[in-house]
Amino acid sequence: MKNGLVFFLGVFAALAISFAGIVLGSHAQLGRLAPYFDENEGQAFPLRTAGIATRGQYVYADLGCAACHTQQVRRPDFGSDQARGWGERQSVARDYIHQPRPQLGASRLGPDLANLGGRKPTPPTEADLYKLLYEGSPRHPAYQFLFDRRAVTGEPSPRAVQVEAGRQIVPTERAQSLVAYLLSLNTPYDYPEARPVQPPAKPAANAPAPEKPAVTPIPAAAPDEKQPLPKK
Amino acid sequence: MTNAPTNVRPEVAARAVSAEVTAIDAHARWPILFLLGSALGWLVISGVLALITSIQVHSPAYLADCPWLTFGRAQALRETAFVYGWAANAGLAIALWVLGRLGGYPLRALNWAVVGTLFWNVGVAVGLVGIATGDMTSFSLLQLPRYVQPLLAFAYAAIAIPGVLAWGGRRTEGTYAAQWYGVAALFLFPWLLIGAQAVLGWFPLRGTAQAVAAGWYAQGAWTLWLAPLALAGAYYILPKITGRVVPTYESAPLGFWTLIFAGAWTGGRHLIGGPVPAWVPTMAVVASGLLTFHYLVIALNFRPIFGARGTAAKFIRFGLVAYLLTGGLEFLTAFRGIAVQTQFTFLSTAIEQLGLYGGISMLLFGAIYYMVPRLTGNAWASTGLTVGHRVLVMAAVVLLVVTLAVAGGSQAADLLDPKIGLGDIYGRIRLALLLSSGAELLLLAANLLLLVNFCRTACVCRTDTATTPLFQEPGTLEVHVS
Amino acid sequence: MMPPAQPDPRIDQAAVTDESLLAAHEKLLGKQPDEKARYRLLPLAMLFLFSGLIFFGGTYLGRYAGHFSPQVYNENAKPPKPGEVQKAPPADPLVVGKTVYNGVCIACHQPTGQGLPPAFPPLAGSEWVMGSEERAIRIVLYGLQGPIKVKGTDYMNVMPAAGPGSSFNLSPEKVAAVLTYVRQEWGNKAGAVAPEKVTEIRGKEGNRAPMTVADLEKLP
Repeated sequence: MKNGLVFFLGVFAALAISFAGIVLGSHAQLGRLAPYFDENEGQAFPLRTAGIATRGQYVYADLGCAACHTQQVRRPDFGSDQARGWGERQSVARDYIHQPRPQLGASRLGPDLANLGGRKPTPPTEADLYKLLYEGSPRHPAYQFLFDRRAVTGEPSPRAVQVEAGRQIVPTERAQSLVAYLLSLNTPYDYPEARPVQPPAKPAANAPAPEKPAVTPIPAAAPDEKQPLPKK
Repeated sequence: MTNAPTNVRPEVAARAVSAEVTAIDAHARWPILFLLGSALGWLVISGVLALITSIQVHSPAYLADCPWLTFGRAQALRETAFVYGWAANAGLAIALWVLGRLGGYPLRALNWAVVGTLFWNVGVAVGLVGIATGDMTSFSLLQLPRYVQPLLAFAYAAIAIPGVLAWGGRRTEGTYAAQWYGVAALFLFPWLLIGAQAVLGWFPLRGTAQAVAAGWYAQGAWTLWLAPLALAGAYYILPKITGRVVPTYESAPLGFWTLIFAGAWTGGRHLIGGPVPAWVPTMAVVASGLLTFHYLVIALNFRPIFGARGTAAKFIRFGLVAYLLTGGLEFLTAFRGIAVQTQFTFLSTAIEQLGLYGGISMLLFGAIYYMVPRLTGNAWASTGLTVGHRVLVMAAVVLLVVTLAVAGGSQAADLLDPKIGLGDIYGRIRLALLLSSGAELLLLAANLLLLVNFCRTACVCRTDTATTPLFQEPGTLEVHVS
Repeated sequence: MMPPAQPDPRIDQAAVTDESLLAAHEKLLGKQPDEKARYRLLPLAMLFLFSGLIFFGGTYLGRYAGHFSPQVYNENAKPPKPGEVQKAPPADPLVVGKTVYNGVCIACHQPTGQGLPPAFPPLAGSEWVMGSEERAIRIVLYGLQGPIKVKGTDYMNVMPAAGPGSSFNLSPEKVAAVLTYVRQEWGNKAGAVAPEKVTEIRGKEGNRAPMTVADLEKLP
């Protein structure tokens, strides 16, 4: 290729076009994604997390937990994520809009954590997580540097992992924020775009969003089955 | 010290040296050797880190107490040292040398390259310390802390200056494929890095748009930076050692532009089934499909390498096959039906290692083996070390990729079955992971051999090259165009 | 040109010079120094293959990209028609009404709807609740003061206004919802209240003082 300028412009254009298309394009679509307001619940989803849990995400990021854990649940016909109890619906972009640094992860040496705070039948407790982080398991490293050894003054701390002979092992601030973050991971709300869809080939008996008349005297079912209603 | 080839007549020798090793090489010797030395040093460091991470995968308790080397951080350290330490330095050395040689004049502004190399390596070192102390960004292939990234962009630009000047001020008007790939890599990397920094560091995008941008950068770094650097060296060496023109060379421009235009669009392949709109992974599949054309062109162009002899040819053969295999596998695993199984498993790791180690690194090794004698004026110091490195590194890469693939295959099949718990899955692949640690150990040993060989070669300077006929006289490449 | 023998693994011999390399490959691309830039055509097979890949890419994008819609996460899905807005599921008045009741009314009228005699009148079985819509809506919108007889018992208290502009500032939809809720809860059986009716009444009355029984009895 003789013309240096044309070559330079071609190379630049290639990169610029891909940047505009992929990065700016997805930013245009996802950047304005707003929380979804549910009239029935009277609040917007996803819920914001408490400050300590937001800090916990930075601890998660800097320890590199994403090297073994993902935080994305795939749809039911795409892998066994939901059958393993890792989530009740697929993760969508709206689940991550309040997270400063979504940790989607790329490798599953450990379980998916997107709904750790919402595991059925019971989510893990703080004590369970502190124990796992301190002692480790055959498959999980022990992060003892996240804990402090201190003397017991008065009562042992309720968060102590071990108490013996006047000394206790308590989680540091980092461990506390990490555990608060892990327990805050929960995406229960069923956004319209997260609902299973029918492929276009089949006769579409139900459209993606249910269409009902605006207000009926006693309408049939609420989107979340928190309270059974008398049906007319 | 060296075995001069006995089939060269002494009176031809003096001319031969000047035709093959010119003032261009003498002038560029120390800056490029500095880059190569740093590259090989980082290669050994990343080898140690790779050994540590591969042990931690099957034995999580290893070094678990050390916050600096916890698995997540050690992975980031390994990846950064390998890509930004080894591959960047080696690739830049090769690109500068090739551009200088094909430009026809001694490289200018090499002081910039030396300063740039210094700051690049300091930046990578500071970045590694930053990652170890907890400033990693958590984006794959861009784990370097934010404060180091601008320094790296400027250092790279400084190193690239001699190459760009050599291309702009070249003797001939037309350019050869090695120059296209080399100078494209020199231009594209700083833009990639700055673009990624802008949307991930300074003005972070919202939610999963960050993951899309990170995928754009990671794939861009592979297809628009590392692959062109490796191909620049390979394209240059191919006709030089085979003495034939590149077959099907008319397709080479389209092969190049296909890589450049389609390469960056493959960013979505890490997000298949993920929380991004469906068009992002679909674009990646389409772009991967287009990229197969580039791989086909490379395969057609590099056919003669299979008959060539010599150390560089062996490395380039291996690297070429691995590169093409990686391309094919990346295309296959971009389809959702296959991605559902291979995602998140060691199969993706295996393909990544095949590409980075088997493909890019082998092509870089081949170019290094070709280049260093011409820069230093000596042959490589030891046959034993040369052959030893070659055999060990090829065997180790094959072992690594095969064991990771076996582990990944078992993992993939088991992950799809919800009744098999994660603990059982890993119990089954433990042996394969142990063997992969063995492969990493072999790789470390092999690269130590190379480092020793390099130091012994580079530290012996021949000032009087005219009397020793090290290089044969190169002939003229003839082509008959119908 | 014969490739060199490469007898020594420690050094690779070059077969050709750089200048001849450049010149030969330039010739292949069909550009001589005195020629205008002309590109040599690709072999036809390669051209077809490239076009085929573009075609494959285009059809794949058309089928599986969900029309580039940000709402489509499943590539097999039918994308929403252009212009079609994903409607939120309609708010269920009973759920909204219960939430409002629990937030606003429960302190006085109690979760059981029994109120707290003699201070707060019950809503369960109350003739005012199940009676005329016009009256019930005004009670909620503007509050009530003065004596009132509910289910045979006299009450004398002040009920604060709850409509738009009051301290509770319930929207017409919420006023309608809470009325719909109390009119069918605790055994009450009366019809739902529509938000349009609430808005209409508010339009008629505007801002006014709390209702008294005398005002209410003037209404149908």
